[in-house]
Amino acid sequence: MKKHLLFALLVGSSTAFAQSFTPTRPIELVVHTGPGGGSDVLARAMVIMLEKEKLLPVRAQVANKPGGGGVVAAAYLAEKKGETHTIGIFTGVWLTNPLTSNEAKVSLKDLTPIARLLLEPAVIAVKADAPYKTLADFVNAAKQKPGELKQSGGSITSRDNVVRQQLQKATGTRWQFISFPGGGERIAALLGGHVNMMVIEPNEAGEHIRAGNMRVLAQVNETRLSAFPNVPTLKEAGFNVTPVPQVRGVVAPPGIPRENVAYWEGVFSKLSQTESWKKYVADNQFENAYQGAAELTKFYEEFTGQMRGILQEAGVKTVR
Amino acid sequence: MIMLAGIYYGAKYGGSTTSILLNVPGESASVATCIDGYQMARNGRAGAALGIAAIASFIAGTVGVLGLMLIAPPLARMSLAFSSPEYFALMALGLAMVVLLGGDSMVKALLATLVGLWLAGIGTDLFSQTSRFTFGRMELLSGIDFVVVAIGVFAIGEVLANMHERGGAPAIAVPKGLRNLLPTRQDLKDSRFAFANGSLVGFFIGVLPGAGSTIASFISYGIEKAVSRHPEKFGQGVVEGVAAPEGANNAETGGALIPMLTLGIPGSSTTAVLLAALVLWGFKPGPLFIPENPAMFWGLVASMYLGNVMLLVLNLPLVPVFAQVLRAPTYVLYPLVLGISVVGVYSTSSSLFDVWLLAGFGLGGYLMRKLDYPSAPLILGLVLGGAMERALRQSLMMSDGSLSILVARPVSAVMLSLALLILLVPLFGKFNAWRLKALK
Repeated sequence: MKKHLLFALLVGSSTAFAQSFTPTRPIELVVHTGPGGGSDVLARAMVIMLEKEKLLPVRAQVANKPGGGGVVAAAYLAEKKGETHTIGIFTGVWLTNPLTSNEAKVSLKDLTPIARLLLEPAVIAVKADAPYKTLADFVNAAKQKPGELKQSGGSITSRDNVVRQQLQKATGTRWQFISFPGGGERIAALLGGHVNMMVIEPNEAGEHIRAGNMRVLAQVNETRLSAFPNVPTLKEAGFNVTPVPQVRGVVAPPGIPRENVAYWEGVFSKLSQTESWKKYVADNQFENAYQGAAELTKFYEEFTGQMRGILQEAGVKTVR
Repeated sequence: MIMLAGIYYGAKYGGSTTSILLNVPGESASVATCIDGYQMARNGRAGAALGIAAIASFIAGTVGVLGLMLIAPPLARMSLAFSSPEYFALMALGLAMVVLLGGDSMVKALLATLVGLWLAGIGTDLFSQTSRFTFGRMELLSGIDFVVVAIGVFAIGEVLANMHERGGAPAIAVPKGLRNLLPTRQDLKDSRFAFANGSLVGFFIGVLPGAGSTIASFISYGIEKAVSRHPEKFGQGVVEGVAAPEGANNAETGGALIPMLTLGIPGSSTTAVLLAALVLWGFKPGPLFIPENPAMFWGLVASMYLGNVMLLVLNLPLVPVFAQVLRAPTYVLYPLVLGISVVGVYSTSSSLFDVWLLAGFGLGGYLMRKLDYPSAPLILGLVLGGAMERALRQSLMMSDGSLSILVARPVSAVMLSLALLILLVPLFGKFNAWRLKALK
């Protein structure tokens, strides 16, 4: 009953507002990481840029809702049904979690898609004194000693492992994947020589390469990154692997009026064309990948299907 | 950045104040301080405990900064030699401290440890992405926050037990006169070794990414108790029991900055925040950070020195003031403690579920006190459990399932033997008692 009333109110108000929506209160920008995490850093930079480029008439505040790798934040947004002043930053894990965890009941599909903003490429790195000069060297070494080489990475559903699964399938080899909870520990394991390879964000790798501690063998991306003009992509290196994109974008609670969606689409489409955004993207070695709500929905389907297949091949139990 | 580093520092010290006065560990590293600090407060020596904590923090903090300044790069390279087997051994060493922390009954201490280890296992398993003991609650997917358990078991459990036992009587006697509120010369003399121990243990454990200040504080507490001439008094309020963990906690700050500044590897969530702040400011933390940004690095070092001095200057005169808190009658003090606890827990996670958990653990802590179960082993099990399990499984993946990796590597072998030795300590005690009896 209460819900119907709320819905009626929403419909009423949305027709009253007709085509235009303008925020009147501060915007809550929900992220699923604690301070310092990937989405948090992006959100805080976004708040600054939105203000600087005068794209929002009100302030935006970052709200950290960590827990369950995105599950808590997604559920929080789902609870805010119809709320027009709350948006969230999602990543691929918001789609992957519901595949593997019974408790993760809210998927991106239950929220209102707004826009895809970024793709985050990765590179495959080894220690500078490792014998592998190319990815083919590494794969050949793995072929000679199946299961003996090691890769450090995040959880089994992370991109790190997805790249490994794809490469293993394409080459018929096998190596170990060792999960470390923190990015720092993964790098320490590689630099300490305890593992042989890792998939790493280009920006993280940059400083270690400059200091001569790391070498990059290939890029997990469709095209070459500006910072690594001489490093081949997976396809160029001769591996028929289509990288699963690491994505970040914006979602809103379910059941918001259409003009609210249009408003947010407009804001982020404009943001993605500003100079400060382009600089941010270039500084961080990301890829500007704006997509509106309609395309984003299609992207969900593709991504979920691809991930389900990869996870099942990796022996991860999928629940949906 | 400097401000952030200052907050990081200040919070580390601030945590000890509530630990000592109210048995509320503000952050995980202060739990070891609670054990003896709060007992000192109950014995009317809150001022001495606070004073020693401030002095230990100052000395160890300075040692930490000196270490950061003088030996950062070589130490960072050494820390890379540490990997999962070594971490497992370090955690095992930490867990062996249970036999030192436990009260009269070893069985009860071990039971409490097991409960702690079980609690650590709750949540999503990193390796298989399976949910464990989540009972279908999404709030439990990322596990139970350590602070919730610590505050529940220590602070709320204590308040409940005291209300039961004493009713409305004033909780703690506070001696009059300024002199009785500051540490005595004897206290300082007793803590000499603890200062050194805390500083060194804290610093070196801090350098290891993935160990953390909680482990540092427990290990230095354990060492202090193990070498003490009167180990039986630990847990009843001895200054060394405050000086060692507090020192370790603060020296860890300097240590933890080393992998962050020299390798760009954050060793803890707090240093991760500092790292993100550096990036926001346009710096590129990594192996070349110090050589390329010497001004920033030395500015940071200088600010840490200053911060250290400021902490001492601000806190020592305030010790008597803080200690007055305990004069408040219980009907004021206890609701205050409960309030601080609830607000503290809610503010870290903004989750009401955590507040209910807190209430549950409070009740658990009360029952543990009533039934005479020690709470420190539970906390230790919880702190070490997750990291220990991960390290063991990582090691076994590295070695393709062979346990020999744990003893084949010298550092981990040494630490594991130390752990074994500590486990045997109570047996030696028993044997000695039996021998003395036989001689008579």
